[in-house]
Amino acid sequence: MTTATMDNQSKQDHATTAAPVRPAAVPGPVLHGVHHAARPTWKLAETMAFYRDILGLPLIHTISARGWGRPGHPDFLHFFFDSGAGSTIAFFYYIGTERPEWLAPRIEDWMYRSTHTAWRVETREEMIAWKERLEKKGVAVSPYTQHEVIESIYFSDPNGYPFEITLQTREFEPRDAADAELTLRAAMELEASGRMDSIDAVWRRKAELVKALPRS
Amino acid sequence: MPAIYVLDVPEFRALVDFSQQQPGYRVGELGNGYFRIESEGDLVFNRKTLKFKPAVWYGIFTGGLDGRIVQFDRDLVRIVA
Repeated sequence: MTTATMDNQSKQDHATTAAPVRPAAVPGPVLHGVHHAARPTWKLAETMAFYRDILGLPLIHTISARGWGRPGHPDFLHFFFDSGAGSTIAFFYYIGTERPEWLAPRIEDWMYRSTHTAWRVETREEMIAWKERLEKKGVAVSPYTQHEVIESIYFSDPNGYPFEITLQTREFEPRDAADAELTLRAAMELEASGRMDSIDAVWRRKAELVKALPRS
Repeated sequence: MPAIYVLDVPEFRALVDFSQQQPGYRVGELGNGYFRIESEGDLVFNRKTLKFKPAVWYGIFTGGLDGRIVQFDRDLVRIVA
């Protein structure tokens, strides 16, 4: 697409009246939550100590296998800790390997930390209990952080992987989903037109979409 | 005239409640799930007055913005037309 074409398309997009937004109900197969989130580790004992002894998550399954599949795949262990509600946190330990430099943790980098797992608690008391437990066992835990609909604490495991424990403070409503779609629509329009230069631009385009929304 | 749009959910309700009490601010319900808050002069909000935590404060205009932000620091935001 040429720049001129893109600009014209952008103008057309901006002239379009925003259609009513509804939470998408996509037919087809559904997912039922997380079975496992997996990461590599080169610290077997420390990982066991952290997840089993400090977090207190039961070790519920271990695979130990010769390397298979692609040539050169190392022998490995793959082990799973129960993280509640049918979910597990799992690790691969590749025998005889060293951590490649590109997997070195960069825990101070917010882009690195954006890849994380957030575990759910159901009550504020549970959240407080987790913070106290972790700190008592020497884990550095962030202060409580209140977001829009969640409150969270943050910490890292011995591998340098970031984790979050979070309490959702209210249920999502259909208007949250509709609002989410409008925000992303505004942002995607700006991305497509090459004018995504700040969140202010998204907010300004969002205002146009909100104004065009019919009364519900 | 600067204006903001506020989704009608509890975490942003303080913006509406504050603005309804603020001389020169007008609050309208659009009937589509959003409030519009506008002012003849600058729109100014104070984080501590609203009792917003920082993570909410820095997303305060996620509902939409008409105007230009000329100041946005930890405790004060100012929008001009």
